[in-house]
Amino acid sequence: MEPAIRVRDLRKTFRVAERDAGLGASVRSLVRRRYREVAAVAGVSFDVAPGEVVGFLGPNGAGKTTTLKMLSGLLHPTGGEVSVLGHVPARREKAYLGRITLVMGNRNQLQWDIPALDSFELNRAVYRIPEPEFRRARDELVELLEIGDLVRKPVRTLSLGERMKAEVAAALLHRPQVLFLDEPTIGLDIGAQKRLRGFVAEYTRRHGASVLLTSHYMADVQALCQRVVVIDKGQVLFDGGLRQLTARFSPHQTITVQLAEPGTDLSAFGAVVEAGEGRVSIQVPKAETSAVAGRLLAAHAVTDLTIEDPPIEDVIEQAFSAGRTA
Amino acid sequence: MESLRLVGTFLRIGVQTELQYRSNVVFSVLQSLVAVGTSLAVLALVFSHTDSLGGWSGDELLVVMGVYVLMGGVLRSVVQPAMNQLMDDVQHGTLDFVLTKPADSMLLVSIRRIELWQSVDVLVGAGIVGFALSRLDTRPGLLAVLGFVVALALGVVVLWAFWLLLTTAAFWVVRTDSLVELLSGMYQAGRWPVTIYPGWLRIGFTFLVPLAFAITVPAQALTGRLSVWLLLGAAAFTVGLVALTRWVWSVGLRAYSGASA
Ligand SMILES: Nc1ncnc2c1ncn2[C@@H]1O[C@H](COP(=O)(O)OP(=O)(O)O)[C@@H](O)[C@H]1O
Ligand SMILES: [Mg+2]
Repeated sequence: MEPAIRVRDLRKTFRVAERDAGLGASVRSLVRRRYREVAAVAGVSFDVAPGEVVGFLGPNGAGKTTTLKMLSGLLHPTGGEVSVLGHVPARREKAYLGRITLVMGNRNQLQWDIPALDSFELNRAVYRIPEPEFRRARDELVELLEIGDLVRKPVRTLSLGERMKAEVAAALLHRPQVLFLDEPTIGLDIGAQKRLRGFVAEYTRRHGASVLLTSHYMADVQALCQRVVVIDKGQVLFDGGLRQLTARFSPHQTITVQLAEPGTDLSAFGAVVEAGEGRVSIQVPKAETSAVAGRLLAAHAVTDLTIEDPPIEDVIEQAFSAGRTA
Repeated sequence: MESLRLVGTFLRIGVQTELQYRSNVVFSVLQSLVAVGTSLAVLALVFSHTDSLGGWSGDELLVVMGVYVLMGGVLRSVVQPAMNQLMDDVQHGTLDFVLTKPADSMLLVSIRRIELWQSVDVLVGAGIVGFALSRLDTRPGLLAVLGFVVALALGVVVLWAFWLLLTTAAFWVVRTDSLVELLSGMYQAGRWPVTIYPGWLRIGFTFLVPLAFAITVPAQALTGRLSVWLLLGAAAFTVGLVALTRWVWSVGLRAYSGASA
């Protein structure tokens, strides 16, 4: 099947004017500016299949937003190829822009002074959505997001979480086939994050849209994404399933045991990461997990034993530091 | 057609928004009265010393002033709010939402915000024009009124295109807003017909800051000074200015997306 998003060796280099501190330097920079090149995206390749939800992860400044902006036609690539739904985004054809949407968690598109419903009307005109389809899409979104009362109030009176839900609704009225979500849950409380996440899951299940999602919250990624693309310094470190990510970047697992006699020293079995009340957690190399667990059970009176992969945050952290030293 | 419908929807929502702030009308009316009062006083002062200024009688100059007030209302209610919104959008990165919409971006940035109550001046200006006309010896005929309407429409387009051009060039490309303010101040020069200014200023106010086409030409239509050629010239200038603005807009877009670097 033809991928919905196809990115090959994508590059974006920004030219930023450099200026040293001090008056003299300022004056000199007026005469002759010095420029520094920042390679924000340095050769990124990946595909997203139709209907696939892919997490796009990386530390601050990794190049995620820059990539999303190139995919949505806001920035011209410095090099490489992008094709989304068969279009070249940088051409910004109306036929293309009408099939995608961009949501940025830290920026608002809804007008501040008017109820979201009025902004929806504006989007209906902009996207030329026929009235019956508009009504169907609007009512569905209002219901799924549970924002029936909120959309009648001026946006400025809404809480951040409420506003974000209204933002998402406005961005989806035209039933886009590709969603670019750049940290849509940023700053929201846990409950609001969860509801928004649930909505995205339900929406993509119903409408089969492709999603590229960046988020700092791993819960978002775990709940929504079958696949992740991890980037750092503008380059792809990993592309695959979450489980493979853990397998690849985390060489350790954590064994937690409940001991019948508290105070036993288990440091002979592995690095003790937590100990107390007879509960001890040790970290062991993944390859030895079962062997160590067997020895533990044989040597001590163990009432309970669990084996866990490290939290996904830690795995990602591992991936980044592996990328840096590599 | 599609564009008209788009403009219509934005206008409707814009007016609805402004109706929330009905009390602003009081402030706008006061502001308008003070401005008009001052202008009338200056006009009266000038004509206590002379009967005509650069070939314009007092009542004819009142027509110019009426058009000046009217256009000022258009400028402050539709043109400037849209430009302020544009500068805001550039600063806050929300222009991205405009540029990812399947509509003409130049049109879209121009209709996103209106300040309805500032359009009080449109009515006040029209009132002044009407009053001045009633005092003229020769009333304009149907053709003259028609010419006035066309010239006025062209004038609105000229003002919009010129302000957008400035905002785009000054703010977006060079990234300063002081130039915009400076040239806004120059609008004030439009209260007098540009024909009374000395040569180089006249040329400047015709082509650099196109006050002539926005204000003087419509006033000329009502005072028997408009020829078909002048009107055609105004139309040609308008088309040229819009084309230039479009080009600068596309340069701004390219700079923004990094396509030109
Ligand atoms: N318009 C710009 N001009 C110059 N540098 C930029 C611009 N936008 C982003 N950058 C730089 O590019 C890098 C990647 O930024 P970004 O894509 O926003 O990262 P992320 O979204 O992953 O946090 C950063 O070093 C950032 O400073
Ligand atoms: Mg970002």
